[in-house]
Amino acid sequence: MTARSSTRDVPVYPGLRRLAAGIAAATTGDGAVFSPAACVALDDAETFPADICRRLDALGVPAFYVPDRLGGAWRGHDELIHLIRMLARRDLTVAIGHAKTFLGAVSVWLAGDPAQQRRLARRVLAGAPVAWGLTEPDHGSDLLATATRADPAPTGFRLTGCKFPVNSATRADLVCLLARTGADRDPRGLSLLLIDKGRLPDGTVRCLPRARTVGIRGADISGLELLGAPAGPETLVGPAGSGLETVLRALQLTRVAVTGLSLGAADHALRLTRDVVLRHRWRGRPLAEVPHVRRALGEQCARAFAAEAVGVFAGRLTHTTPDELPVVSALAKAFVPMAVDELIAGCADLLGPGPLPTGRVPAGAFAKLERDHRIVGIFDGSTVVNRAAVAHHFPVLAHGWRSAAGSHAAVRRAADLRAGLGPIGALPLTSRTGCSAVQSLPAAVAELDGPARDLGTALVAAADRLHHDLARAPSTVRGVSAEAFDLVERYEWCFAAAAAVHLWLANHTARREGPESAGGWWDDARWLRAVLTLTLSRLGCPVPAATATVFDELSTVLAGHGPPTLLADADADADADADTAGGER
Amino acid sequence: MTPGGTARVAELERLLSDLWEAGGPLPYTAVLAADERAELCAEGRRLLHRAGFTAEFVPAALGGRLARLDELVAAARTVCRRDPTLALGHGLGSFLAAATVWTSGTADQRRRVAALVLAGGTVATVCPDLAHGDDPYRGTVTAHPDGTGNLRVSGRADAVPDGGRADALVLLADVGRPADADGAGLAHLLVDTATLPPGGVTRPARPATAGLRGLALGGVRFRDCPVPGSALLGTPGGGADAAARAAQVTRACLAGTLPGALDTGLRTVLRFATRRRLYGQGMDALPAVRAALADAFADLLILDAVGTVTARALHVLPEQAGAPASAALYTVGRRLTAAMDRLSRVLGAHSYLRDGEYGIFQKVRRDAALAVSGYAAPTTCLRTVLRYLPGLADRTPAGTPPPVAGQVYRDGAAVPELSFDRLTTRAGRVDALAGALHHGRRAAAGADPELHRLATAFCAELAGLGRQGARLRPPDLGPHARPEALALAARYATVLAASACLNVWAHRPRDGFLGDPAWAVAALHRLAGAAGLPAGAAPGPAAAYRPALYRELTDRFAGRRTFDLADRPPAG
Ligand SMILES: Cc1cc2nc3c(=O)[nH]c(=O)nc-3n(C[C@H](O)[C@H](O)[C@H](O)COP(=O)(O)OP(=O)(O)OC[C@H]3O[C@@H](n4cnc5c(N)ncnc54)[C@H](O)[C@@H]3O)c2cc1C
Repeated sequence: MTARSSTRDVPVYPGLRRLAAGIAAATTGDGAVFSPAACVALDDAETFPADICRRLDALGVPAFYVPDRLGGAWRGHDELIHLIRMLARRDLTVAIGHAKTFLGAVSVWLAGDPAQQRRLARRVLAGAPVAWGLTEPDHGSDLLATATRADPAPTGFRLTGCKFPVNSATRADLVCLLARTGADRDPRGLSLLLIDKGRLPDGTVRCLPRARTVGIRGADISGLELLGAPAGPETLVGPAGSGLETVLRALQLTRVAVTGLSLGAADHALRLTRDVVLRHRWRGRPLAEVPHVRRALGEQCARAFAAEAVGVFAGRLTHTTPDELPVVSALAKAFVPMAVDELIAGCADLLGPGPLPTGRVPAGAFAKLERDHRIVGIFDGSTVVNRAAVAHHFPVLAHGWRSAAGSHAAVRRAADLRAGLGPIGALPLTSRTGCSAVQSLPAAVAELDGPARDLGTALVAAADRLHHDLARAPSTVRGVSAEAFDLVERYEWCFAAAAAVHLWLANHTARREGPESAGGWWDDARWLRAVLTLTLSRLGCPVPAATATVFDELSTVLAGHGPPTLLADADADADADADTAGGER
Repeated sequence: MTPGGTARVAELERLLSDLWEAGGPLPYTAVLAADERAELCAEGRRLLHRAGFTAEFVPAALGGRLARLDELVAAARTVCRRDPTLALGHGLGSFLAAATVWTSGTADQRRRVAALVLAGGTVATVCPDLAHGDDPYRGTVTAHPDGTGNLRVSGRADAVPDGGRADALVLLADVGRPADADGAGLAHLLVDTATLPPGGVTRPARPATAGLRGLALGGVRFRDCPVPGSALLGTPGGGADAAARAAQVTRACLAGTLPGALDTGLRTVLRFATRRRLYGQGMDALPAVRAALADAFADLLILDAVGTVTARALHVLPEQAGAPASAALYTVGRRLTAAMDRLSRVLGAHSYLRDGEYGIFQKVRRDAALAVSGYAAPTTCLRTVLRYLPGLADRTPAGTPPPVAGQVYRDGAAVPELSFDRLTTRAGRVDALAGALHHGRRAAAGADPELHRLATAFCAELAGLGRQGARLRPPDLGPHARPEALALAARYATVLAASACLNVWAHRPRDGFLGDPAWAVAALHRLAGAAGLPAGAAPGPAAAYRPALYRELTDRFAGRRTFDLADRPPAG
C-alpha cells in the first residue's frame, strides 16, 4: 500500500479507544451484560440497567464527568459528547441513566468551592450517581417559580418542597437542587445545594414513586419530597443567591453534552434501518434500490450529518468561543434532537409498523429507540425553551450578520477536528457577539468551489433574507411570538449548514480518500452538498431537481461504508455492525 | 348526516361520556390501564357491545345500520376520540376486512359475515406483510385446488391486526398456477377459523407494537391447510381489483375516523394549558402556545373536511373515488402525526408520562402513529394516487370545470345509496373533487381577498399538476416510481384537501363559524405552506386568523363540544 494522505484511520478521540474496547466487550458474546437483547429485556421489565451501569463504572466512564484538574478526564467537551454517543448508540436508557451524573455535578465544577469540588470528584470517580433537581410538579421551564425552600436554620438550612420528575432521584444519594433562599421571583433569591440523602435524618426526605414514562422505561425517573431536611452551610454551591445564574451556566454545558444522546440514537437508527433495507427485497429488487427508499434513506443520512456537524462543532466551540455559548448551546439543543427525531421518523417510515427482529437485534429495538429518543427534546431545557433563548438574541444576531462580526480564527480552530483545544473559559449569560459561526458563513462559502459553492451561495442569500426578517421581528416582552419561533428554526438550519461548511473546509484535505475510493462520504463534497441541499429545502428555497440526487449518492455510500460520520472510521465502534451481522430473517 | 345518524352519534356520546368525568362509564384510567395490559379496553367493549355498536358497519340490507359512510365515520370517530385501539378493535377493524365481503361476496358469504359482525365477532384481513404494506406479495399465501373440491392454503403473514383472535379471516391468496400465466392471479378467500383442521393454521403471538397495543397483532401461518372451495370470495384472478375497490371504502373510512385521535390530543393539551402557570401567568397566555393550539384546530378541521367529503364522495361520485380515497388517507396520516408531534411540544414533559390526567395524550399519539404506519403507509397511498395523475389535466379543465357535487360538502344533504358495484379502479372522465377548486375560487372572489388569493394559487397548482402528470411515464406508475413522481401525488393530495376545505366553506354560508372565511383561510394557508406554494410562505395570514380560531376553540372546549366540523355538543 502506498501511504495515504487520508486520516480516516486515525481516531479523532484517541482518549476513548480503551473505553470503546471495553464497551464493545460488554456488548458482544453470549450473556453479555450490555447486549441489545439485555437492553430490550430490561426495558420490557421496566428495570434499571444497574449491572450495565456498574460495568461502565468499572470501565472508568465516570472519570469523564470530572474535570481533569480534579483527577478526572473531562477536558474536551466534544470528547464527552462522543462518549455519551458511544453509550447512546447502544441504549438510551443506559446513556441517560449514567450520564446524568455529569448534569448533576457540573454546577459544582462551575461554582463550588475547592474543598466541595474535591469531595464530589472523589465520590463521582468512585461511581456515585448524582442527580440534578430543578423541576417541581408545577414548575418546569420557569425556574424563577421554584417553590422548594431552603430556610435558614441554626445549622445551615432547612429544606421543604418537592422535586419531580427528576432523573435518578431515588437511586442517587447526591442531589444538586435548586431552592429558594430569597424573595419570590427574585433572580437572586435562588440557591443551589448539594445534599447527600444518605445522611439525612429519617423522615426528613421521602423518595416519590417512579413515574411511568413513554420511553427510557428502565430509568429511575422519580422525585423527592423534602420534609424539613437539614442541610449544612457546606452544601451551598457558590454563594447564596447565585443558584439561578449557576444553573443557567451549567445548562449551557449540559445542553451541548446531551446532543451526544441524539447522535448515538441516529447511529443506532441508521444501523438498524440500513440492515433491513439491504436484506429485504421488494418486487424483485433489494429494498435499498427502490427509488423512493434510496432517496429517503439518503435524506436521513443528510440529517445525520447535519446533526453531527452541529453537535461536534458546538462541543468544540464551547472551548473556542465560550462567550457565545448562550446562543450556541441553545441552537444545538434545539436543533440536534429535532433533526434526529425527524431522522428516526424517516427511518420508521421505511421500516413499517411491525417489530422487526433481525439477527441479534431483538424485535422492538427500533420502537424502543424511537420512544426513548423523544425525551431528549424535552428535558434539560425543551426545544421551546431553547428557541426562546435564541429569540432573545435576535437583535445581536442581526447586527452580527450585518457587520460580519465575530472571531473567525476561533471558529476555524473549532472546525479543525485535529486541533487541540484549551480549557473552557468564563461563561456569560448572554452572547454579546451573536454567533460567529453563522456570521462567518459568507467568508467561508467564498472558499468553496464546484457545486458546493453554488449551493453555499444560495444559502448565503437565504441567510441574508432570514436576518432581514430577524431584524424586523417584534421584541419579545410579552412572550416570544409564533413567528419568532419559526425564525429560530430557520436560524438553526443556517447554523447547521454553517457548521457543515466550516467543518468541510477545515478537514477535507486531510480526509480526501484518494482515487481508489472515490465513493466515500467526503469525495465530491458529497456529505456537504447533501447538508446544504437539505438546508435549502428547509429554508423554502427552490433547488434544482437534479440536486436532490445527492441523497441517492449518500444511500449508495451508506450501503458500502456503514453509518455516516464525519469522524474517523476508527471512532466508529468496532462491534457496531456485529450487532446486526447475524442470521437472515 | 340524516337525523337518524345524528341521533345515533349523540346516543354514543352519551353512552361513552367524557374521558375525564369522575365516575364516568369510560374514564381515561380504564383506557390507559387496558393499554398497559396490551388488551382491548373491556369497559369500552362492554358498553359498545350492549349498544350493538357493530351494526354501524353492516349494510342495512343485511340487518345492520350502515346506510351512509359519513355516518359510519362519525360513529367510529366518536369511539376513536376515546380510544383509537377500541375503535379499530371493536367494529372498524372488522369492517376493513368485511368491506371485501360487502363488495365481492356471495349472498351467503355476506349473510354469514353480517351475522358474525352483528354478534360482535371479529374478522381480520390477512394482507401479507404489513411491514411493507405496499404490496400484496404474490406467492406469500397460495391456495391451490387439491382435486377434492378443497383448496390447499400455505403461506404466512406476520403482522395481522387481530390475527390472534379473529373468528374469520379474509385472505388474499395467489390462486394461479405458475405454469399457466393467463390463469395466474390473486383471489380472496373467506375462512372461518373455527372450521380449520388443527395443525393447518397456527397463529403465533407477536410482541406488542408501540401503539394499538390492544389489537393483538399476530402472525397467521397456513401449512397445506384444506379450506372448502366455497371459501373463494369473488372471482379467481379478480383479487387485486377487488382489493383495490374495497380499499377505496376502507381508506376513506380510516381517513374519516382517525382525526378523532387529534380531537383528544388537542383537548388534553388545552386542558393542560388552561391549568398550568408559567412565568407568573397562565400558560395559555403565551402567544406561541395559543398559536400552536389554533394551528392544531385548523389541522383537525382540514382532516375532517378531507375525511367527510371523501366518505360522501363514495356515494355521490363512486366512479371517481379511487384517487381521492387514497389521497385522503395520505393527507390524514401525514398531518395527523405531524399535528400530534407539534402538540407534544406544548405538553412538554407531560407528553412523556403515562400516568395522570394528561397520560391519555401519549396513548392516542402512539395509537395514531401506528394506525398511520400500519393502515395508511404513505407511499402505498401515493402509489395508488399516482396512477390517476396522467389524465388529470383532461379531468379538471379550468375553462369548463365539472359540475360541483354540492351534497358532498353540505351536512344534511341526501346522498345516493352506496353502490359497491360502481366503485372502479379505472380513472373516470372527470375529477369533480379537484375541479371544484374553480367553483370555490369564484365563491371566494366576492367574500374574502385573502381566501381568493389562496384559492387562485391552488387552481394554478392544480393546473401545474395536470401538466406534470401528463409527462409521467409508465415506470413512474409502478412500484419503482421515482421520488419526484411520488411528490406529485402528494401535491395532488394537498390540492384535494384545499378543495375540500374551500368548498365546505362555500357550501355553508349560513353556518356561523364554518361560513366565516377565517377557518378556510387558515386551512388553505397551512396547506399552501405544506405544499411549498409561495402563497403559504408569508406568516401574515396565519397570524391574522389565529385569534378567531383560538376563540372558537376555547368556546368549544368550555362547552365540551367536539372540535371537528360537526361541532357536536356533549351528551345532554
Ligand atoms: C423523563 C424525564 C426526566 C427528567 N429529568 C429531570 C431531571 O433530572 N432534573 C430536572 O430538574 N428535571 C427533569 N425533568 C423535567 C424536565 O426537564 C422539564 O419538565 C422540562 O424542562 C420542561 O418543563 P415542563 O415540560 O414541565 O413544562 P413547563 O415548563 O411547565 O412548560 C409547559 C409548556 O409551556 C411551553 N413553554 C414553556 N416556556 C415557553 C416559552 N418561553 N414560550 C413559549 N412556550 C413556552 C412549552 O411548550 C412547555 O412544554 C425530566 C422530565 C422527564 C420527562
